[in-house]
Amino acid sequence: MKKLISMLVTAALAVTSVFALAGCNSANGGNGSNGGDKASNFKVGAIYINSQNDTSGYTYAHHHGITEGMKKIGLDPAKDLYIVDNVPEDDEKVKQAIDQLAGNGCNIIFGISFGYINAFEAKAKEYPDIIFSHATGYLSNDKNFNNYFGRIYQARYLAGIAAGYKSLELKNNNIGYVSAWGTEYAETCSGINAFAMGCMAVNPDAKVNVYEISTWGDQQLERQAAETLIDTYGCCVIAQHCDSAQPQIVANEKGVFGCGYNSDMSAEAPKAHLTAPVWNWDVYYATAMKAAMEDPANFMTKVGNYYEGLKAGFVDVSPLTANCTAETKEAIDLAKDLMTSGEWDVFSGVKLSFSGAAGSVGVAKTDAALKTNEGAEIVAAGGKSVEDGVIQGTMNYYVEGVTQVN
Amino acid sequence: MRRYHLVRRADSRIGRTIAFYAVGILVSLLIGAVILFALGINPLDYYGKMFTIGLVGNRYGYKSIEGFLKIFVPLLITSLALSLSFKMRFWNIGGEGEFLIGAITASVIAFNSEGMPNFVTVLLMCLAAMISSGIIGIAIAALKVRFNTNETLMTLMINYIMLYVIRYIGETKADWNFFLREDSERPKFGTFPDSAVMTGIPIGQFKLLWSVIIAVALTVIVYIYLKYTKQGYEISVVGDSSATAKYAGMSVGKIVLRTMFISSAMIGLAAALTVSASGTISDTVTNNVGWTGIIVAWLSKLSVPAVFITSILISVLQYGCQAAATQYPAIDINYADLLQGLILFSVLVADFAANFKIVKKEEAKNA
Repeated sequence: MKKLISMLVTAALAVTSVFALAGCNSANGGNGSNGGDKASNFKVGAIYINSQNDTSGYTYAHHHGITEGMKKIGLDPAKDLYIVDNVPEDDEKVKQAIDQLAGNGCNIIFGISFGYINAFEAKAKEYPDIIFSHATGYLSNDKNFNNYFGRIYQARYLAGIAAGYKSLELKNNNIGYVSAWGTEYAETCSGINAFAMGCMAVNPDAKVNVYEISTWGDQQLERQAAETLIDTYGCCVIAQHCDSAQPQIVANEKGVFGCGYNSDMSAEAPKAHLTAPVWNWDVYYATAMKAAMEDPANFMTKVGNYYEGLKAGFVDVSPLTANCTAETKEAIDLAKDLMTSGEWDVFSGVKLSFSGAAGSVGVAKTDAALKTNEGAEIVAAGGKSVEDGVIQGTMNYYVEGVTQVN
Repeated sequence: MRRYHLVRRADSRIGRTIAFYAVGILVSLLIGAVILFALGINPLDYYGKMFTIGLVGNRYGYKSIEGFLKIFVPLLITSLALSLSFKMRFWNIGGEGEFLIGAITASVIAFNSEGMPNFVTVLLMCLAAMISSGIIGIAIAALKVRFNTNETLMTLMINYIMLYVIRYIGETKADWNFFLREDSERPKFGTFPDSAVMTGIPIGQFKLLWSVIIAVALTVIVYIYLKYTKQGYEISVVGDSSATAKYAGMSVGKIVLRTMFISSAMIGLAAALTVSASGTISDTVTNNVGWTGIIVAWLSKLSVPAVFITSILISVLQYGCQAAATQYPAIDINYADLLQGLILFSVLVADFAANFKIVKKEEAKNA
């Protein structure tokens, strides 16, 4: 008897779904597939690691960049954008997401997380007519698969300048840095180094204390790390490479200063925030979508693997707040000019040093070897910048002035 | 003060059960529709896409079916396996952990199978996974039989242990770690060589993987095993009353050990089929079947044919929710999860309401 009931129950479930099925078949039979008869047939697919409705953080920054980029080139995100979100770094799930997007007719598919790399590599072969674009990766092919990332270290150097001036003003050489990872990832490592070099270009005695939380995002840990850096190590500025604004909020509570990341965190920490290195993802997304729309066959020659920085406006610092010292803006503008003109770059054998009062800030260039904090020489005095491949992939040392506290 | 009591309904009428289920599902869909409406989406349109798993208007519809089957197979086998142990009243909630052990051992063979014939590799993967998962199952059953340990606790903990084992493997870059991609600076699980990737029968562009055929065959075998064999009968006697089983001269300990081995080994098999079908492993490889399988088993009242149908419906729900959410920029996967939760919850409530009723205390006395 029990068995009979359960059979009938499941049958009931089946019947309801069949009804729904029938209903939609008739509905769809009439007007065909959605979006197909619109003026623009170009469709964009996106795969996110977190929710598309996030209001801050990594996924938000990309989603914002994609929608803004679409508007720039005349696409409507409400109609032409297909998203699969909360996709973990699981090849099978990424592949299924790609199949869904391909099935819906997407012409270009963006994947924002490093771990999507295997699935993107495999699916780029399977769908030669779709362009695959993978953030933070290192693989590509010569037809329809590229990777993109930016010289965020340049923006971090600029934020370092702001922090350096603050430490001079407060006569406290201890600067804190809450980081997702330390030397394990070139992305975090190069960011820490660039920030420290920016600090020391202003305050040669500055020390950057890194607290590694060993995860890309955990609000509780981010908070604790900032508290430790302030309470135990006496840091007067808290910089960060992690997902939430918690380190800035802590700085605000404890009356010290800070540099956020990813977005302008002044709203979260009005009394503390100086400036934040930010990404303008829309710069890349507009470029990539335009190229894919106009001439997909030559995507790899026109866009290729994308690694831009201040010059393209792909990275920048958020507007300086009133918490910054008077000299900060001039110094940052000077450094920015040197980097956008291509005259100088961060990881080279030439060191910048800023001096002078507000209104007459000057920058001096001196040849000095780039050394690790253990004294090993990376670039000889006057030498050229380290390769992009090192900054993106293999940098695994801290420069002089950086200490990891945990 | 008035007191109310829950009373099991004396009769169970099929018509009533169906009506309750229908109302339950309808209510959950209506709540979902209100939310969709608030987001400016036509609920009928959305539900249509959901229950057709995004097939309509899809250029690569056959891939949707392949994707759906990849979700369905592990869920079906795991639910069957869990039903076996639940029938014996052995609360195996370690499906996740048993699945992960199988996935890891199968992957050890897969990553080292370069050049081996495909059939041999996949067979070895399945055997290794079944044995390793089975051993864990039998070990927990042995502790229960010998020391009367709490199997709920033991199986639950296995889930977390194995989750951290696979995370450790996935995040540790080292010479010994053949699980990871060699060319990547960051730790990232690699892809199996072709020798370990499951093949299937091509039907046009669609490829019917062997794992689907194995899963269906297994359903039939488990059905026959439970219904027509002595061992199957023993399981239900132990489940109804182990004292009865004992007085009937059955060796309860042996039956528990044997059944837990079969149950865990089946979950191991599901894991091997899953990793082989996807050609890789990850720390989310289980897709939560160890948990969802419990719901499937109970919704089906541990009946094998019902498990088969319920697994299909839950998979349609899971795959369809994502497929539909893809087509609407305003809908994120959280909504899909919410809707799944609503539907499952209301079905469980409906099931409860169909079997129990609330009565006032006086009436209960009179009843």
